Amino acid sequence: MKILIVDDSSTMRRIIGNVVMQLGFSKNDFDEAEDGIKAWKLLEEGRYDLVLTDWNMPNMNGLELVQKIRGGGNHTKTPIIMITTEGGKAEVVTALKAGVNNYIVKPFSAEVLKEKLDGVMKK
Amino acid sequence: MSMSQEEIEALMNGIDLDDSGDKESDELVEEKSSQTLSTDEIESLINEASPNVDDDLSSEVSNDDIEALLATIEGVKGDESLSQNNIESKAVASSSDAEIEKVASDWASKKLEEGVIPYPVTNDHKPINQLSEVAHDSEEKATRIFDVLSFILDENNYIQQESKKLDEFLNKQVALMEALSSKFPNIDVFRSNHQAALELKGNIGLINSKIDAENMQLFEAMELMQFHDINRQKIERVMAVIRKLSRYLNNLFEDDGSHKEVAVAKHIHGDVNNDVVGGDDLEALIAEFNKG
Repeated sequence: MKILIVDDSSTMRRIIGNVVMQLGFSKNDFDEAEDGIKAWKLLEEGRYDLVLTDWNMPNMNGLELVQKIRGGGNHTKTPIIMITTEGGKAEVVTALKAGVNNYIVKPFSAEVLKEKLDGVMKK
Repeated sequence: MSMSQEEIEALMNGIDLDDSGDKESDELVEEKSSQTLSTDEIESLINEASPNVDDDLSSEVSNDDIEALLATIEGVKGDESLSQNNIESKAVASSSDAEIEKVASDWASKKLEEGVIPYPVTNDHKPINQLSEVAHDSEEKATRIFDVLSFILDENNYIQQESKKLDEFLNKQVALMEALSSKFPNIDVFRSNHQAALELKGNIGLINSKIDAENMQLFEAMELMQFHDINRQKIERVMAVIRKLSRYLNNLFEDDGSHKEVAVAKHIHGDVNNDVVGGDDLEALIAEFNKG
């Protein structure tokens, strides 16, 4: 199983990676990208089973990335979890409409991420 | 002895003149100076000059020469008081400069505090610049803190892996000592070793549980570091507001450039200023000037 973590903060990428490793994955099981453009490049080149993305990022934001993924390519059916500071109801609805499978508001605990990851992976 | 113009010119051309002032020799010198030298001539000149230079350089300096040199240096000591005066006067000048600078700096700080004069437009005082620097620096430091936490976590994992080997060994020891002490109940060494092995096993269990607790704390610290990202985003929100405000103020105050810069009056009637002259003052001033 291959996971793609997209966040412009290197600290956040490491926090998420850490939780993913706690779930039993190794460092080789996930890749990192610092914005939507770099993430899209990786998605075009490889095959991922799950995408964890932030919303507010430079160059291409998370919402645009989700729309692009759902719009075409190899990952139209790949589960996407959005992990963001955007906690407004309108934003959550917008993200879900764009095709996000689950939504986590920062700050989150490792348990919450584990729960959501388990839920998405079981489907 | 004053020099003629010709002598000065000759000197500037790098040719020494004879003090006798012979006109013919002067003309000859002028002729020579105007001649252009061929490459061969230049080289022969260099060859002529070089041995002398080498001789000077290679000539050994005798003790007498050194003494003479030292004596001339000592002779120079007489001028030391003069140079000391120069140093002292320079020191006084630099100290007065420093004092002036201090007074100016104090005044500027006071006026800045009072809000009379604005902060200078430098990168250190530009809010967006400063905020961007803070966000960048804290991101960098957060990464380093994460490195430290990860390192401790990795080391703890290593200790726990190694302690597993120790535990396996102790299990064997406990089993062996147990078997030996039950087979030879009269031999105290087996019984005491069995007891010691059991105690050590217990200690390893305790160490492992402490490491587990420490790891939990580390995970919690890592989780808390999310607030760094949240705070960074708050800073970015403030930066966005400042940028928009700056753009708005620029739009508000800019003109289309068609208006010419007009000279403005420095003192206008009604200004609360000691420099503004009243009617009586004006008359008195004019009268005083007319006297002269």
